[in-house]
Amino acid sequence: MTGPRPLDRIRVVDFSWFGAGPIAGRTLADFGAEVIRVESEARIDSLRIGQPIPPGKSDSYNLSGYFNNFNAGKLSFLLNMNAERAQEVAYRIVERCDVFLTNHTPRVLAKWDMGYEKLREINPQIVAAYQPMQGVEGPHRDFLGFGAVLTPISGLSHLSGNPEHPPFGVGTNYPDYALNPGHTVVAIVAALRHRERTGQGQMIELAQIESVASTLGPALLDYSVNGRVQTRDGNRSSWMTPHGVYRCRDEARSHPSEPGQNAEVRERWIAIAVGGDAVWSALCATASGGGGAASFVDDVRFATILGRRRDEAALDAALGEWTASQSASDLEATLQAAGVPAALVRDAEDMLDHDAHLAERDYYAYLDHPETGRSAYDGPVVVLSETPGELTAPAPLFGEHTFQVATEILGYSEEEVGELVASGALT
Amino acid sequence: MVTPADTPGALDGVRILDLTTEMGQYAGKLLADLGADVIKVEPPGGDAARGVGPFAGDRVSRETSLAWWYFNANKRSVTCNLDEHDGRWLFGKLLAGADCLLESFDDGYLDERGFGYEALRERLPNLIYVSIRGFGASGPHAGWKASDIIGLASSGVLTLSGDPGDPPQMLGGQQGYITASLAAAQGATLAIFQQERQGQGQRVDVSMQEALSIAQETAMPQWDFQKTSRERVGASARLPGLGTYKTKDGYLLAMVGAPAGAPWSVLLEWMDEEGAIDEMSEEVADGLRALNWQTLAAALADPAKMAELQKLFPVAEQTLAKFMAERETLPLYEAGQSRRLLFGQVSTPKDLVENPQLQARDWFFELEHDGQTIDFPGPPYRLSETPVRLRRPPPTIGEHNQEVWVGEVGIPADDVAVFSSEGAI
Repeated sequence: MTGPRPLDRIRVVDFSWFGAGPIAGRTLADFGAEVIRVESEARIDSLRIGQPIPPGKSDSYNLSGYFNNFNAGKLSFLLNMNAERAQEVAYRIVERCDVFLTNHTPRVLAKWDMGYEKLREINPQIVAAYQPMQGVEGPHRDFLGFGAVLTPISGLSHLSGNPEHPPFGVGTNYPDYALNPGHTVVAIVAALRHRERTGQGQMIELAQIESVASTLGPALLDYSVNGRVQTRDGNRSSWMTPHGVYRCRDEARSHPSEPGQNAEVRERWIAIAVGGDAVWSALCATASGGGGAASFVDDVRFATILGRRRDEAALDAALGEWTASQSASDLEATLQAAGVPAALVRDAEDMLDHDAHLAERDYYAYLDHPETGRSAYDGPVVVLSETPGELTAPAPLFGEHTFQVATEILGYSEEEVGELVASGALT
Repeated sequence: MVTPADTPGALDGVRILDLTTEMGQYAGKLLADLGADVIKVEPPGGDAARGVGPFAGDRVSRETSLAWWYFNANKRSVTCNLDEHDGRWLFGKLLAGADCLLESFDDGYLDERGFGYEALRERLPNLIYVSIRGFGASGPHAGWKASDIIGLASSGVLTLSGDPGDPPQMLGGQQGYITASLAAAQGATLAIFQQERQGQGQRVDVSMQEALSIAQETAMPQWDFQKTSRERVGASARLPGLGTYKTKDGYLLAMVGAPAGAPWSVLLEWMDEEGAIDEMSEEVADGLRALNWQTLAAALADPAKMAELQKLFPVAEQTLAKFMAERETLPLYEAGQSRRLLFGQVSTPKDLVENPQLQARDWFFELEHDGQTIDFPGPPYRLSETPVRLRRPPPTIGEHNQEVWVGEVGIPADDVAVFSSEGAI
């Protein structure tokens, strides 16, 4: 039974695709909004046809775990924007929603005539959130891109990874998942609060390059104030030493690996971050009490923070020697018990199946889905004690709610729905 | 960025006490930038994050941390010693007038000082109490210590980043702290909205581990469905035109032929105009012209076709690498994009400060500080009716002690002087 949630009675039209828009819509849905996800086969969200899908299944828009995770709890409404009468339907949705959300490009939105000036005519109180890659104005307005291209453009790639390698990025389309949706939700909820007080809607423009660059403020200021161009520094920290990721004892795989992977061995790593002498002493006390070759414990070079910084490479090597023979998860527990910040470098298996803490907090939600069966979803991004977010339904099937939305929310009669279907607007 | 000085803020009238340090300070920044009155409550010597560089002019002091400036502009600062009785008494007074408290202490720290959530919820039922921790405020790991890299490691995100020959590699810019703060800002705005509609405070519990989890991308559902682990792949350049290229002055990411972007034929036309494929045989050029997403997909399913294609790759890669190496990044990026090629400049901080798009959009604020005008990075979003403004420079330690303690909390000025000399303020 769902209790009250902060966004009860707020209706959102989620005119977005891929990650940055849909994840923002999902958070709004988790916290009580009714979210209408507008989709079409003519312009299919590639995530619907992406991997991963359950083994032995195929030929469906409803199987992708990548898509499903970002769209739980929404209503799927099929509207082909190329059809003649689509725009009138789109405007009717806007008229009946509190929030409009899109990450389509300014070009596409101009074609659909869904810029803010138009939406405001239809619904003066609408909170309209746009997520263009580079902004709705400016010389790079029409540049192409998605998460993989945004990561370098926005400055994140240059600042991430091993300085001896080219800046090839962070392994995922990271800005799509945390930064751009998160910022968008903050802006939308703040704008709803302003509307509640003043009756005034507004436009939110989240240029994705600005959203990511704004998280890199210290590096930008280092250039604008000091003229210094910071670069990536691997796993080092500006003030903590030792600070890094250290190899532990390999483990045998409990399951077959992906093709191309080393089938036998599961690499195990531990992250350790030592911020001061007290933590360093705790680490040394732990190391001298346990097994393994802890050559760093009595090494005078490492007795002070200045010494540890001076000989950081030697310290990393000595620490790595000590961790190499140990179980990463045991070491994590031992170090944390001694007050040393440490974490097993978890993979998804660890997260879903072996993390007793996440399990006790019920972070992942397991929802029954008609085509994927019972499957895992990320939980709400934050826990509210009295009005918690909740995943009330799995991801919608493609077009599952078209008729329901058309009749119950948009107020079309069955006959009108039939006409709209015949015109090609609805499917 | 220039915005009119009389525009309202979306969070006008909300008072927030920000007791966070590195892990949570971005949350307070986001809320302050949206107009909330965010008061940084620092211990008498100043917030520990004031010790984190870089420093203005490389002068290390409590007032010159650029990182601190960035995350604390638009906030006010008071000092208050929670380790002393008088300090706790003062803080209790201040708290009574606040809507929201942000904290990122270790588990138990505020409880021991009488300001734990359970102790406050009855006394201040409307208070929104936001706790930001590595592992959240409940559960068996609630007491675990965390920093940025610990969050990245514990969330399944770190394992996906880096070259397979290296240890997993941290993301730049303390993305663990940023993402945890962003979750806190989402929780805080939601709770404020709820409180003002329904009159109810609550605990907002942020776990950095959980906030980052969704950034595992496909890895989480892949394990769920297929019981296979996604591993880091590094540069992963398998095909010509897809990867990070060295240019004359930096790097450029190219994704030639990826869906939505222009194919090889467009790139070759450009290279031909510039005389860059004169040495390429017609056979190779024709083969590349025919290369696009569809033909590649067909080749992936047909080893014979793939073998034919692969003959083209070394020449294609060599020619393109030379083309890139002889040109500067920004012109390559702009010219490529104007041809609808999926090119991305690998921007350094300097490139961002000079970025033509950010410049044209007037993204940077101008901050007057110590007689200098500084390009101060702008906000993540633009709100048409409640624009983000740079209203205040970063405060000095306790800059607003008089204003807040005397003027707003109502402590007599003489008492504040005594509290100050005794170390409570």
